[in-house]
Amino acid sequence: MAKRILLFLVISAAMALTIGPAFSQDKVYVNGIDANFPPFAFVDKNGNPDGFDVKALDWIAKDQGFKVKHQPMDWDGIIPSLNAKKIDMIASGMSITDKRREQVNFSIPYYKITQVLVALKDSKLTVDQLLDQGNKVGVQRGTTEAKWIEENLIKKGKKNFSLLYYDSAPLAVEDVVNGRIAAAAMDDAPAKDAVKKKPVRIVGTFGMPDEDFGYAVRKADTELLDKINTGLKKLMACPYWQELKVKYELD
Amino acid sequence: MLEYLTAIGDALPYLLQGSLVTIALVVGAMALGLVIGILLAVGLVYGPPYIRALFSMYVWFFRGVPLLVLLFLFYFGLFTLVGINISAFTAAVIVLGLISSAYQSQIFRGGILSLPEGQLKAARALGMSDGKAICSIVLPQALRLSIPGWSNEYSIVLKDSAIAYALGVAEVMARAHFVASRTYQHLPLYFTAGVIFLILTYMGTKALRVLEERLRIPGYMR
Repeated sequence: MAKRILLFLVISAAMALTIGPAFSQDKVYVNGIDANFPPFAFVDKNGNPDGFDVKALDWIAKDQGFKVKHQPMDWDGIIPSLNAKKIDMIASGMSITDKRREQVNFSIPYYKITQVLVALKDSKLTVDQLLDQGNKVGVQRGTTEAKWIEENLIKKGKKNFSLLYYDSAPLAVEDVVNGRIAAAAMDDAPAKDAVKKKPVRIVGTFGMPDEDFGYAVRKADTELLDKINTGLKKLMACPYWQELKVKYELD
Repeated sequence: MLEYLTAIGDALPYLLQGSLVTIALVVGAMALGLVIGILLAVGLVYGPPYIRALFSMYVWFFRGVPLLVLLFLFYFGLFTLVGINISAFTAAVIVLGLISSAYQSQIFRGGILSLPEGQLKAARALGMSDGKAICSIVLPQALRLSIPGWSNEYSIVLKDSAIAYALGVAEVMARAHFVASRTYQHLPLYFTAGVIFLILTYMGTKALRVLEERLRIPGYMR
Protein backbone atom coordinates (compact mmCIF):
# COMPACT_ATOMS: atom_id res chain seq x y z
CA MET A 1 0.00 0.00 0.00
CA ALA A 2 2.64 2.46 1.10
CA LYS A 3 4.81 1.56 -1.89
CA ARG A 4 1.92 2.03 -4.28
CA ILE A 5 1.20 5.45 -2.81
CA LEU A 6 4.84 6.37 -3.11
CA LEU A 7 4.89 5.19 -6.73
CA PHE A 8 1.75 7.21 -7.45
CA LEU A 9 3.30 10.33 -5.99
CA VAL A 10 6.53 9.89 -7.92
CA ILE A 11 4.58 9.43 -11.14
CA SER A 12 2.43 12.47 -10.47
CA ALA A 13 5.52 14.52 -9.74
CA ALA A 14 7.03 13.43 -13.02
CA MET A 15 3.79 14.22 -14.84
CA ALA A 16 3.44 17.60 -13.24
CA LEU A 17 6.92 18.43 -14.46
CA THR A 18 6.24 17.35 -18.01
CA ILE A 19 2.75 18.83 -18.43
CA GLY A 20 4.09 22.36 -18.71
CA PRO A 21 6.39 21.88 -21.71
CA ALA A 22 3.97 19.42 -23.35
CA PHE A 23 1.52 22.24 -23.97
CA SER A 24 3.91 24.11 -26.24
CA GLN A 25 4.75 21.43 -28.75
CA ASP A 26 3.95 23.01 -32.13
CA LYS A 27 5.23 26.49 -32.82
CA VAL A 28 2.57 28.86 -31.61
CA TYR A 29 3.63 32.39 -30.80
CA VAL A 30 2.78 33.33 -27.25
CA ASN A 31 1.51 36.81 -26.58
CA GLY A 32 1.97 37.89 -22.97
CA ILE A 33 -0.85 40.05 -21.69
CA ASP A 34 -1.63 41.92 -18.51
CA ALA A 35 -5.09 40.47 -17.95
CA ASN A 36 -5.81 43.23 -15.45
CA PHE A 37 -5.88 45.91 -18.14
CA PRO A 38 -9.36 46.25 -19.60
CA PRO A 39 -10.32 47.18 -22.29
CA PHE A 40 -6.98 46.37 -23.98
CA ALA A 41 -6.46 42.99 -22.37
CA PHE A 42 -8.54 41.04 -19.89
CA VAL A 43 -10.07 37.62 -19.29
CA ASP A 44 -13.71 37.24 -20.33
CA LYS A 45 -16.51 35.50 -18.47
CA ASN A 46 -15.51 32.08 -19.78
CA GLY A 47 -11.87 32.62 -18.92
CA ASN A 48 -10.75 33.36 -22.46
CA PRO A 49 -8.37 36.24 -23.14
CA ASP A 50 -10.24 39.16 -24.64
CA GLY A 51 -9.69 42.84 -25.30
CA PHE A 52 -8.77 45.28 -28.02
CA ASP A 53 -5.16 44.13 -28.35
CA VAL A 54 -6.08 40.45 -28.14
CA LYS A 55 -8.59 40.74 -30.97
CA ALA A 56 -6.32 42.98 -33.03
CA LEU A 57 -3.44 40.54 -32.75
CA ASP A 58 -5.71 37.62 -33.61
CA TRP A 59 -6.62 39.43 -36.83
CA ILE A 60 -2.97 40.20 -37.61
CA ALA A 61 -1.92 36.61 -36.94
CA LYS A 62 -4.62 35.26 -39.24
CA ASP A 63 -3.70 37.77 -41.94
CA GLN A 64 0.03 37.06 -41.69
CA GLY A 65 -0.37 33.31 -41.32
CA PHE A 66 0.97 32.63 -37.86
CA LYS A 67 -0.63 31.10 -34.80
CA VAL A 68 -0.88 33.01 -31.57
CA LYS A 69 -2.13 32.29 -28.09
CA HIS A 70 -2.52 34.77 -25.30
CA GLN A 71 -0.90 34.16 -21.95
CA PRO A 72 -2.03 36.26 -18.98
CA MET A 73 0.88 37.18 -16.75
CA ASP A 74 2.18 39.67 -14.26
CA TRP A 75 2.96 43.08 -15.75
CA ASP A 76 6.03 43.54 -13.55
CA GLY A 77 7.95 40.71 -15.15
CA ILE A 78 6.59 40.93 -18.67
CA ILE A 79 9.72 42.31 -20.42
CA PRO A 80 12.08 39.89 -18.61
CA SER A 81 9.67 37.12 -19.64
CA LEU A 82 9.87 38.25 -23.27
CA ASN A 83 13.65 38.30 -23.27
CA ALA A 84 13.79 34.98 -21.42
CA LYS A 85 11.65 33.55 -24.29
CA LYS A 86 8.80 32.65 -21.97
CA ILE A 87 6.63 34.65 -24.37
CA ASP A 88 7.23 35.89 -27.92
CA MET A 89 5.45 39.23 -27.98
CA ILE A 90 3.62 41.72 -25.83
CA ALA A 91 0.39 43.11 -27.25
CA SER A 92 -1.19 44.50 -24.13
CA GLY A 93 -1.34 48.28 -24.13
CA MET A 94 2.38 48.81 -23.70
CA SER A 95 3.66 52.38 -24.00
CA ILE A 96 6.66 52.86 -26.27
CA THR A 97 9.50 54.41 -24.29
CA ASP A 98 13.21 54.88 -24.94
CA LYS A 99 14.07 52.87 -21.86
CA ARG A 100 12.01 49.92 -23.06
CA ARG A 101 13.44 50.32 -26.57
CA GLU A 102 16.83 49.42 -25.12
CA GLN A 103 15.46 45.97 -24.30
CA VAL A 104 12.83 45.22 -26.95
CA ASN A 105 11.70 46.31 -30.40
CA PHE A 106 8.35 47.99 -30.87
CA SER A 107 5.89 47.88 -33.74
CA ILE A 108 4.52 51.04 -35.29
CA PRO A 109 2.39 52.99 -32.78
CA TYR A 110 -1.31 52.15 -32.96
CA TYR A 111 -2.96 54.10 -30.19
CA LYS A 112 -2.32 57.35 -28.36
CA ILE A 113 -2.86 57.17 -24.64
CA THR A 114 -3.24 59.93 -22.06
CA GLN A 115 -2.59 59.53 -18.36
CA VAL A 116 -5.23 60.84 -15.99
CA LEU A 117 -6.07 61.02 -12.32
CA VAL A 118 -9.14 59.18 -11.08
CA ALA A 119 -10.83 60.26 -7.84
CA LEU A 120 -14.12 59.68 -6.05
CA LYS A 121 -17.19 60.82 -7.95
CA ASP A 122 -18.24 63.34 -5.31
CA SER A 123 -14.73 64.60 -4.62
CA LYS A 124 -14.45 68.31 -5.41
CA LEU A 125 -10.64 68.35 -5.51
CA THR A 126 -8.76 69.47 -8.57
CA VAL A 127 -5.66 67.77 -9.97
CA ASP A 128 -3.41 70.27 -8.18
CA GLN A 129 -5.17 69.73 -4.87
CA LEU A 130 -5.09 65.94 -5.26
CA LEU A 131 -1.35 66.04 -5.78
CA ASP A 132 -0.89 68.15 -2.66
CA GLN A 133 -1.89 68.43 1.00
CA GLY A 134 -0.01 65.24 1.82
CA ASN A 135 -2.48 63.14 -0.15
CA LYS A 136 -1.83 59.57 -1.18
CA VAL A 137 -1.91 58.69 -4.85
CA GLY A 138 -1.98 55.14 -6.18
CA VAL A 139 -0.36 53.80 -9.33
CA GLN A 140 0.30 50.42 -10.91
CA ARG A 141 3.81 49.12 -10.33
CA GLY A 142 6.11 48.95 -13.36
CA THR A 143 4.12 51.36 -15.52
CA THR A 144 5.32 54.44 -17.38
CA GLU A 145 3.07 56.67 -15.27
CA ALA A 146 4.68 55.33 -12.09
CA LYS A 147 8.11 56.13 -13.47
CA TRP A 148 7.11 59.57 -14.74
CA ILE A 149 5.53 60.59 -11.43
CA GLU A 150 8.60 59.41 -9.50
CA GLU A 151 10.99 61.32 -11.73
CA ASN A 152 9.03 64.46 -12.41
CA LEU A 153 6.84 65.04 -9.38
CA ILE A 154 8.28 63.14 -6.42
CA LYS A 155 12.04 63.57 -6.91
CA LYS A 156 11.75 67.24 -7.73
CA GLY A 157 9.70 67.61 -4.57
CA LYS A 158 7.45 70.32 -5.96
CA LYS A 159 4.30 68.59 -4.86
CA ASN A 160 3.41 67.35 -1.42
CA PHE A 161 1.96 63.86 -1.90
CA SER A 162 3.08 60.27 -1.55
CA LEU A 163 2.91 57.51 -4.12
CA LEU A 164 1.54 54.03 -3.36
CA TYR A 165 2.18 51.06 -5.61
CA TYR A 166 -0.45 48.52 -6.67
CA ASP A 167 -0.47 45.25 -8.52
CA SER A 168 -2.95 46.55 -11.08
CA ALA A 169 -4.79 49.77 -11.89
CA PRO A 170 -8.20 48.33 -10.90
CA LEU A 171 -6.82 47.62 -7.42
CA ALA A 172 -5.72 51.25 -7.13
CA VAL A 173 -9.22 52.35 -8.15
CA GLU A 174 -10.65 49.99 -5.53
CA ASP A 175 -8.59 51.79 -2.90
CA VAL A 176 -9.83 55.15 -4.12
CA VAL A 177 -13.34 53.86 -3.48
CA ASN A 178 -12.24 52.48 -0.10
CA GLY A 179 -10.95 55.94 0.76
CA ARG A 180 -7.39 54.81 1.40
CA ILE A 181 -5.96 56.97 -1.34
CA ALA A 182 -7.16 60.26 -2.79
CA ALA A 183 -6.58 59.40 -6.42
CA ALA A 184 -5.23 56.81 -8.84
CA ALA A 185 -3.00 57.71 -11.77
CA MET A 186 -3.64 55.57 -14.82
CA ASP A 187 -4.19 55.40 -18.60
CA ASP A 188 -7.39 57.05 -19.75
CA ALA A 189 -8.89 53.99 -21.48
CA PRO A 190 -8.92 51.76 -18.38
CA ALA A 191 -9.96 54.83 -16.38
CA LYS A 192 -13.09 55.14 -18.55
CA ASP A 193 -13.73 51.46 -17.90
CA ALA A 194 -13.46 52.10 -14.15
CA VAL A 195 -15.87 55.05 -14.32
CA LYS A 196 -18.52 52.75 -15.80
CA LYS A 197 -18.20 50.25 -12.96
CA LYS A 198 -17.30 52.27 -9.86
CA PRO A 199 -18.38 55.59 -8.28
CA VAL A 200 -15.31 57.44 -9.56
CA ARG A 201 -14.62 60.18 -12.05
CA ILE A 202 -11.74 61.24 -14.23
CA VAL A 203 -10.41 64.47 -12.75
CA GLY A 204 -8.00 65.32 -15.54
CA THR A 205 -4.46 65.02 -16.81
CA PHE A 206 -1.51 65.72 -14.55
CA GLY A 207 1.07 66.99 -17.00
CA MET A 208 2.50 63.74 -18.26
CA PRO A 209 3.04 63.80 -22.04
CA ASP A 210 0.84 61.50 -24.15
CA GLU A 211 2.29 58.16 -25.09
CA ASP A 212 1.97 55.72 -27.96
CA PHE A 213 1.09 52.09 -27.54
CA GLY A 214 3.02 49.55 -29.57
CA TYR A 215 3.49 45.80 -29.72
CA ALA A 216 6.80 44.57 -28.39
CA VAL A 217 8.98 41.70 -29.66
CA ARG A 218 12.51 40.53 -28.90
CA LYS A 219 15.30 42.46 -30.65
CA ALA A 220 16.36 39.39 -32.60
CA ASP A 221 12.89 38.62 -33.96
CA THR A 222 12.98 41.07 -36.88
CA GLU A 223 10.97 38.75 -39.12
CA LEU A 224 8.14 38.56 -36.59
CA LEU A 225 8.25 42.34 -36.17
CA ASP A 226 7.89 42.78 -39.94
CA LYS A 227 4.86 40.50 -39.97
CA ILE A 228 3.26 42.36 -37.09
CA ASN A 229 3.94 45.74 -38.70
CA THR A 230 2.60 44.68 -42.09
CA GLY A 231 -0.47 43.15 -40.49
CA LEU A 232 -1.03 46.11 -38.21
CA LYS A 233 -0.85 48.58 -41.11
CA LYS A 234 -3.40 46.52 -43.04
CA LEU A 235 -5.65 46.23 -40.01
CA MET A 236 -5.56 49.96 -39.28
CA ALA A 237 -6.62 50.65 -42.85
CA CYS A 238 -9.59 48.33 -42.76
CA PRO A 239 -13.05 48.90 -41.22
CA TYR A 240 -12.53 46.19 -38.59
CA TRP A 241 -10.12 48.52 -36.78
CA GLN A 242 -12.89 51.06 -36.27
CA GLU A 243 -15.28 48.29 -35.26
CA LEU A 244 -12.81 47.16 -32.61
CA LYS A 245 -12.48 50.70 -31.27
CA VAL A 246 -16.25 51.00 -31.02
CA LYS A 247 -16.60 47.56 -29.44
CA TYR A 248 -14.04 48.32 -26.72
CA GLU A 249 -15.13 51.96 -26.40
CA LEU A 250 -11.79 53.46 -27.26
CA ASP A 251 -13.08 56.49 -29.15
CA MET B 1 -25.84 41.31 -1.93
CA LEU B 2 -27.51 40.02 -5.08
CA GLU B 3 -24.82 41.81 -7.03
CA TYR B 4 -22.18 39.85 -5.11
CA LEU B 5 -23.91 36.53 -5.66
CA THR B 6 -24.19 37.20 -9.39
CA ALA B 7 -20.51 38.08 -9.54
CA ILE B 8 -19.60 34.86 -7.71
CA GLY B 9 -21.92 32.76 -9.86
CA ASP B 10 -20.50 34.19 -13.06
CA ALA B 11 -16.91 33.61 -12.04
CA LEU B 12 -17.30 30.25 -10.30
CA PRO B 13 -16.72 27.87 -13.25
CA TYR B 14 -13.57 29.79 -14.20
CA LEU B 15 -12.32 29.81 -10.60
CA LEU B 16 -13.04 26.10 -10.16
CA GLN B 17 -11.00 25.30 -13.26
CA GLY B 18 -8.28 27.25 -11.53
CA SER B 19 -8.56 24.98 -8.52
CA LEU B 20 -7.44 22.11 -10.79
CA VAL B 21 -4.28 24.10 -11.52
CA THR B 22 -3.86 24.69 -7.79
CA ILE B 23 -4.29 20.97 -7.09
CA ALA B 24 -1.77 20.09 -9.80
CA LEU B 25 0.70 22.56 -8.28
CA VAL B 26 0.26 21.10 -4.81
CA VAL B 27 0.35 17.43 -5.83
CA GLY B 28 3.47 18.04 -7.93
CA ALA B 29 5.21 20.03 -5.21
CA MET B 30 4.27 17.64 -2.40
CA ALA B 31 5.42 14.63 -4.43
CA LEU B 32 8.73 16.25 -5.33
CA GLY B 33 9.12 17.32 -1.71
CA LEU B 34 8.33 13.80 -0.51
CA VAL B 35 10.99 12.13 -2.62
CA ILE B 36 13.71 14.65 -1.80
CA GLY B 37 12.48 14.99 1.79
CA ILE B 38 12.87 11.26 2.52
CA LEU B 39 16.38 11.24 1.07
CA LEU B 40 17.27 14.29 3.14
CA ALA B 41 15.81 12.81 6.32
CA VAL B 42 17.68 9.52 5.94
CA GLY B 43 20.88 11.39 5.15
CA LEU B 44 20.41 13.73 8.10
CA VAL B 45 19.91 10.87 10.57
CA TYR B 46 22.18 8.12 9.27
CA GLY B 47 24.53 9.89 6.88
CA PRO B 48 28.22 10.54 7.47
CA PRO B 49 29.11 13.99 8.86
CA TYR B 50 29.78 15.68 5.49
CA ILE B 51 26.40 14.50 4.14
CA ARG B 52 24.71 15.77 7.28
CA ALA B 53 26.43 19.13 6.93
CA LEU B 54 25.52 19.38 3.24
CA PHE B 55 21.88 18.42 3.77
CA SER B 56 21.62 20.79 6.74
CA MET B 57 22.77 23.61 4.51
CA TYR B 58 20.15 22.69 1.92
CA VAL B 59 17.44 22.72 4.58
CA TRP B 60 18.75 25.98 6.00
CA PHE B 61 18.70 27.62 2.57
CA PHE B 62 15.22 26.55 1.51
CA ARG B 63 13.70 27.28 4.89
CA GLY B 64 15.42 30.64 5.10
CA VAL B 65 14.64 32.36 1.81
CA PRO B 66 11.10 33.64 1.21
CA LEU B 67 9.04 31.76 -1.36
CA LEU B 68 8.48 34.83 -3.52
CA VAL B 69 12.21 35.54 -3.69
CA LEU B 70 12.97 31.94 -4.68
CA LEU B 71 10.22 31.95 -7.32
CA PHE B 72 11.64 35.04 -9.02
CA LEU B 73 15.23 33.89 -8.52
CA PHE B 74 14.57 30.54 -10.19
CA TYR B 75 12.13 31.62 -12.88
CA PHE B 76 13.78 34.80 -14.12
CA GLY B 77 17.28 34.10 -12.86
CA LEU B 78 18.70 30.61 -12.52
CA PHE B 79 16.68 28.70 -15.11
CA THR B 80 17.21 31.43 -17.68
CA LEU B 81 20.91 31.64 -16.86
CA VAL B 82 21.52 27.96 -17.55
CA GLY B 83 19.32 28.10 -20.65
CA ILE B 84 16.46 25.93 -19.41
CA ASN B 85 13.21 27.35 -20.70
CA ILE B 86 10.48 26.07 -18.43
CA SER B 87 6.91 27.22 -18.02
CA ALA B 88 5.83 29.30 -15.06
CA PHE B 89 3.83 26.31 -13.85
CA THR B 90 6.84 23.99 -13.86
CA ALA B 91 8.99 26.61 -12.16
CA ALA B 92 6.37 27.01 -9.44
CA VAL B 93 6.15 23.23 -8.91
CA ILE B 94 9.92 22.93 -8.63
CA VAL B 95 10.33 25.85 -6.23
CA LEU B 96 7.37 24.85 -4.05
CA GLY B 97 8.68 21.26 -4.11
CA LEU B 98 12.24 22.18 -3.12
CA ILE B 99 11.03 24.35 -0.26
CA SER B 100 8.59 21.68 0.87
CA SER B 101 11.34 19.04 0.76
CA ALA B 102 13.25 21.04 3.38
CA TYR B 103 10.25 21.11 5.69
CA GLN B 104 9.23 17.52 4.92
CA SER B 105 12.75 16.30 5.72
CA GLN B 106 12.30 17.60 9.26
CA ILE B 107 8.91 15.89 9.56
CA PHE B 108 10.42 12.56 8.47
CA ARG B 109 13.50 13.09 10.61
CA GLY B 110 11.19 13.47 13.60
CA GLY B 111 9.42 10.27 12.58
CA ILE B 112 12.69 8.35 12.31
CA LEU B 113 14.03 9.68 15.61
CA SER B 114 10.83 8.72 17.44
CA LEU B 115 11.47 5.03 16.74
CA PRO B 116 13.30 3.00 19.40
CA GLU B 117 16.97 2.77 18.49
CA GLY B 118 16.95 -0.91 19.36
CA GLN B 119 15.05 -1.74 16.18
CA LEU B 120 18.00 -0.96 13.95
CA LYS B 121 20.31 -2.94 16.22
CA ALA B 122 17.89 -5.86 16.13
CA ALA B 123 17.78 -5.69 12.34
CA ARG B 124 21.58 -5.73 12.20
CA ALA B 125 21.61 -8.70 14.58
CA LEU B 126 19.37 -10.52 12.11
CA GLY B 127 21.96 -9.86 9.43
CA MET B 128 20.21 -7.06 7.55
CA SER B 129 22.28 -4.42 5.88
CA ASP B 130 21.73 -0.87 7.11
CA GLY B 131 20.14 0.13 3.80
CA LYS B 132 17.75 -2.78 3.91
CA ALA B 133 16.89 -2.09 7.55
CA ILE B 134 16.18 1.58 6.85
CA CYS B 135 13.96 0.78 3.85
CA SER B 136 12.09 -2.17 5.37
CA ILE B 137 12.03 -1.43 9.08
CA VAL B 138 12.59 2.24 9.79
CA LEU B 139 10.91 4.10 6.93
CA PRO B 140 7.62 2.15 6.84
CA GLN B 141 7.08 3.09 10.48
CA ALA B 142 8.54 6.57 10.35
CA LEU B 143 6.45 7.55 7.33
CA ARG B 144 3.29 6.37 9.04
CA LEU B 145 4.15 8.46 12.07
CA SER B 146 4.83 11.42 9.78
CA ILE B 147 1.35 11.64 8.28
CA PRO B 148 -0.06 14.15 10.82
CA GLY B 149 2.90 16.47 10.28
CA TRP B 150 2.71 15.89 6.55
CA SER B 151 -0.95 16.89 6.55
CA ASN B 152 0.10 20.15 8.15
CA GLU B 153 2.70 20.65 5.42
CA TYR B 154 0.03 19.97 2.80
CA SER B 155 -2.12 22.82 4.03
CA ILE B 156 0.89 25.14 4.05
CA VAL B 157 1.94 24.25 0.49
CA LEU B 158 -1.65 24.61 -0.65
CA LYS B 159 -1.82 28.15 0.65
CA ASP B 160 1.69 29.00 -0.55
CA SER B 161 0.76 27.87 -4.05
CA ALA B 162 -1.35 31.02 -4.41
CA ILE B 163 1.87 33.01 -4.76
CA ALA B 164 2.45 31.30 -8.11
CA TYR B 165 0.05 33.91 -9.46
CA ALA B 166 2.98 36.34 -9.41
CA LEU B 167 4.53 34.35 -12.27
CA GLY B 168 1.26 34.32 -14.18
CA VAL B 169 0.20 30.78 -13.32
CA ALA B 170 -3.59 30.84 -13.75
CA GLU B 171 -4.43 29.24 -10.41
CA VAL B 172 -7.33 30.27 -8.17
CA MET B 173 -5.89 33.55 -6.88
CA ALA B 174 -4.72 34.75 -10.31
CA ARG B 175 -8.13 34.02 -11.76
CA ALA B 176 -9.96 35.84 -8.97
CA HIS B 177 -7.67 38.79 -9.65
CA PHE B 178 -8.31 38.71 -13.42
CA VAL B 179 -12.08 38.61 -13.00
CA ALA B 180 -12.03 41.35 -10.37
CA SER B 181 -10.09 43.58 -12.76
CA ARG B 182 -12.78 43.20 -15.38
CA THR B 183 -15.82 43.44 -13.14
CA TYR B 184 -14.49 45.56 -10.26
CA GLN B 185 -16.08 43.06 -7.85
CA HIS B 186 -13.03 42.57 -5.69
CA LEU B 187 -14.72 41.62 -2.43
CA PRO B 188 -16.88 38.70 -3.62
CA LEU B 189 -14.11 37.33 -5.82
CA TYR B 190 -11.34 37.26 -3.24
CA PHE B 191 -13.89 35.87 -0.80
CA THR B 192 -14.71 33.04 -3.19
CA ALA B 193 -11.01 32.34 -3.74
CA GLY B 194 -10.62 32.06 0.05
CA VAL B 195 -13.54 29.65 0.32
CA ILE B 196 -12.11 27.46 -2.45
CA PHE B 197 -8.81 27.23 -0.55
CA LEU B 198 -10.68 26.38 2.66
CA ILE B 199 -12.50 23.55 0.92
CA LEU B 200 -9.29 22.25 -0.65
CA THR B 201 -7.56 22.31 2.74
CA TYR B 202 -10.46 20.45 4.32
CA MET B 203 -10.58 17.79 1.61
CA GLY B 204 -6.85 17.19 1.68
CA THR B 205 -6.44 16.99 5.45
CA LYS B 206 -9.52 14.76 5.67
CA ALA B 207 -8.10 12.40 3.04
CA LEU B 208 -4.78 12.23 4.88
CA ARG B 209 -6.61 11.50 8.11
CA VAL B 210 -8.32 8.55 6.43
CA LEU B 211 -4.97 7.42 5.05
CA GLU B 212 -3.50 7.61 8.55
CA GLU B 213 -6.23 5.33 9.89
CA ARG B 214 -5.92 2.91 7.00
CA LEU B 215 -2.18 2.56 7.31
CA ARG B 216 -2.22 2.12 11.08
CA ILE B 217 -0.50 -1.09 12.11
CA PRO B 218 -3.15 -2.97 14.11
CA GLY B 219 -2.14 -3.69 17.68
CA TYR B 220 1.19 -1.89 17.40
CA MET B 221 0.55 1.82 17.18
CA ARG B 222 -2.18 3.24 19.40
